[in-house]
Amino acid sequence: MIKDSVVTNIIVSGVGGQGSILTSHLLADAALIEGFDVKLAETFGAATRGGSVYAHVRIGEVWAPMMREDEADVVISLEPLEGLRVATKFLKPGGYALINTHPWYPVDVTVGRVKYPSLDAITDALKKLDAKVITIDATSLAIEAGDSRSLNSVVLGGLIALEVTPISQDGIFKAMQEKWKERLVKINQKAFQLGYDFVNSVL
Amino acid sequence: MNRLSNPQAGKKMVLMGNEAIARGAIESGVKVVAAYPGTPSSEIVEVLLECSKDLGFYAEWSVNEKISFEVSTGASLMGVRTLTALKGAGLNVIMDMLMTIPYTGIRGGFLLVVADDPGAHYSSNEQDSRMAAQWANLLCLEPENHQEAKEMAKAAFEISERLELPVILRSATRLSHCSGVVEMGTVKPSEMVPGFNKHYKLPYRWNVYGPPGTENKHAWQLAQLPAMRNEAECSPFTQISKGKSPVAIISCGLGAAYSREAVRILGQEKNIWFVKVGTPYPIPSEKLLPVLKSCKKVLVVEDGDPLMETQLRVFAQQQRLPVQFFGKVGEGVFALHGELNTDKAVTALAKTLEIDLPVDLQRETAKKEANSVVVPRSSTLCAGCPHLGTYWAMKRALKPGVENVPVINGDIGCYEQAGYGVKGQMPDASADPSRRYLSRLPYDFLDTLHIMGSGISLAQGEAHSGVENGQYWAVAGDSTFYHSCMPGLVNAVWNNANITFVVMDNYWTSMTGHQVCPATGLNPRNQDTKIIPIENIVQSIGVEQIEVVDPYDISATIAAMKKASSFEGPSVVIARRECALQVLRRSGKGSTRTFVTDACTGCTICVQLGCPATTFENNMAGIDPLLCVNCGMCKQLCPENAIIEEVVQ
Repeated sequence: MIKDSVVTNIIVSGVGGQGSILTSHLLADAALIEGFDVKLAETFGAATRGGSVYAHVRIGEVWAPMMREDEADVVISLEPLEGLRVATKFLKPGGYALINTHPWYPVDVTVGRVKYPSLDAITDALKKLDAKVITIDATSLAIEAGDSRSLNSVVLGGLIALEVTPISQDGIFKAMQEKWKERLVKINQKAFQLGYDFVNSVL
Repeated sequence: MNRLSNPQAGKKMVLMGNEAIARGAIESGVKVVAAYPGTPSSEIVEVLLECSKDLGFYAEWSVNEKISFEVSTGASLMGVRTLTALKGAGLNVIMDMLMTIPYTGIRGGFLLVVADDPGAHYSSNEQDSRMAAQWANLLCLEPENHQEAKEMAKAAFEISERLELPVILRSATRLSHCSGVVEMGTVKPSEMVPGFNKHYKLPYRWNVYGPPGTENKHAWQLAQLPAMRNEAECSPFTQISKGKSPVAIISCGLGAAYSREAVRILGQEKNIWFVKVGTPYPIPSEKLLPVLKSCKKVLVVEDGDPLMETQLRVFAQQQRLPVQFFGKVGEGVFALHGELNTDKAVTALAKTLEIDLPVDLQRETAKKEANSVVVPRSSTLCAGCPHLGTYWAMKRALKPGVENVPVINGDIGCYEQAGYGVKGQMPDASADPSRRYLSRLPYDFLDTLHIMGSGISLAQGEAHSGVENGQYWAVAGDSTFYHSCMPGLVNAVWNNANITFVVMDNYWTSMTGHQVCPATGLNPRNQDTKIIPIENIVQSIGVEQIEVVDPYDISATIAAMKKASSFEGPSVVIARRECALQVLRRSGKGSTRTFVTDACTGCTICVQLGCPATTFENNMAGIDPLLCVNCGMCKQLCPENAIIEEVVQ
């Protein structure tokens, strides 16, 4: 049975290799486990790593895999600059932007072509878009959980704490169990909890 | 066991479009699968290769698309169901056979999946491959969503067997690389008895020249067309819902999905007619006649060229119906380039209905301001990528100047990133050729880039052009070498072209997702097999100057490049080192770490390698420990010996 629900639009963004696509698949699997219709659009360039990557996750009755501009209820980003990049296009006024604070510098910055914006400049720009901004040092929390690669689960925990999606922690944990071996599930559940608790504490 | 090999019927899963198509082939009892990887189509055969081990059918990566299509054709002539899947560019590689096979027809159900890429996210063009269906006179199905992708794949095998012609399933990036909920079905194989029959229904059936001759075989195909049109007219995938006003949307594929969103956004659900066509070629004209008779305005929504629209316009004219079409022909409501999306469909529907859309200027300004903070992120090669060392050496061996203008011809693979440039500053199109290179990074290095196998032949034309102060180089990866560079190299030797060809052998077809190739040592079914060494091929072709180097050894690679470039006649450098990502996945980072000491003077030479693990802040280089794979390349470049690799305790 597919449940009727209000449409929820989520964007997961980051840099290729950080796990944004994996995160979006966990979300989509969790949505189906909880009985919702779901569509997922991955967008990434030719590069396996290092490029801008984002995914649209749409829960509820939709037809197009990608949302319109200004339609995202929430943007979660594993990297600050990439969060702002997608939010300027897709985040709706009043939507949430949950942003990891740890930057991954583009080559354009390393060679001195452009300057990476400060975290303050990024949050100010997000506020200009009328976003509810939450910054999280997810990279440190992931290391605390036992593996820097569990960064995506930290951010996912933060997303569930926001209560803007119909998905529960249970659904995410079940999706993790279907995908991963026990050791990975353990680390990622711990990472999820750290992210969840952090966002809960600042809400 | 792969989750798509034997799922319970009725089970729902979130599947990529490519997985849904693969499952459709499994539910049809496919027996032979052949393809060459190409984004966004690759996962179809990746999945089928895994399932082939569980289910006992045959699947392969072929060396190129043409071969894969012919392998599938052979299987079909034996009376078994077969599939080839490729990207739009791959379709062009099979065109010779595609235009000929309809004359003899086929036997076993033959599904040709073409995954197009409107918007050119991963491709060198935006071609609409449905046009090939019209050109070759083959039926084309185009799914709107993931469930339909699976069901259409199944229908395609059955239609193909009824018509004795291949059927094309047209996918696109937003279907192939997007995911949706799909319900699993049961397996229903073909009832055809396999076997070869030389004179099946026609004398010399499978020899296009054989009696009764090629023209008669063409006539045979044309005689199939009424049956093909009938398949389109009866297709359950075409659905019509009536509206109150004399306005219709006629859409297909993803165009239908975007149109449904647009109809909801503009509140037109009860008002206008809505048609989703399942077969954009041929369109079910008779079925659509009542719509055209009832409507004064028709908005045609399709992703790509106006294939349905032109057929509809011709049909309406034949029927003398005064319908006004809105689409892509003439002063269209859609552009002829770029991919469709919901916003574009909303704008087009509003224009058709003469509705003014509200514009929020304040929001536009806020978005512009926020966007001014965003800086570009140019794509790069990976940390520790062997191609970084190869390009470094090429740049050192080939210093551009007025006296010596090298032209470096690119090809398709990860290494094409060396032509993408670094964003944030466009080069001056009128600059003196000796000053072309914007940065010292590898990413401004390649001068030309088009299609697979083209670089080596372009270089020959440049070398024969009579321009004297040039040096003409081409690069290609291992998989591209086997795919389509060998005839080009034979041509270079035969005609004695003064070119240098650099083959970057990293053992894998990396950019499309690390599929195996003849350089890997594994066959597509993951069994050990012999490597087909590129240097042996190059040598037997007759190249006299061949160097095989490890691009992690920077000075040896520079020496090899210099030797090749000073050789008169065709020379080849094979830069061989396994893809760093594959090594990382298999073996991890090892027990060392690389870092920059205080001896760094901020000279930026290491930055110029272009490795994404290199950072540069406060006039000092650094290394991101999360990205670095300890390849040791930057260490060799540092004039101050400030980069140190040490064992982690």
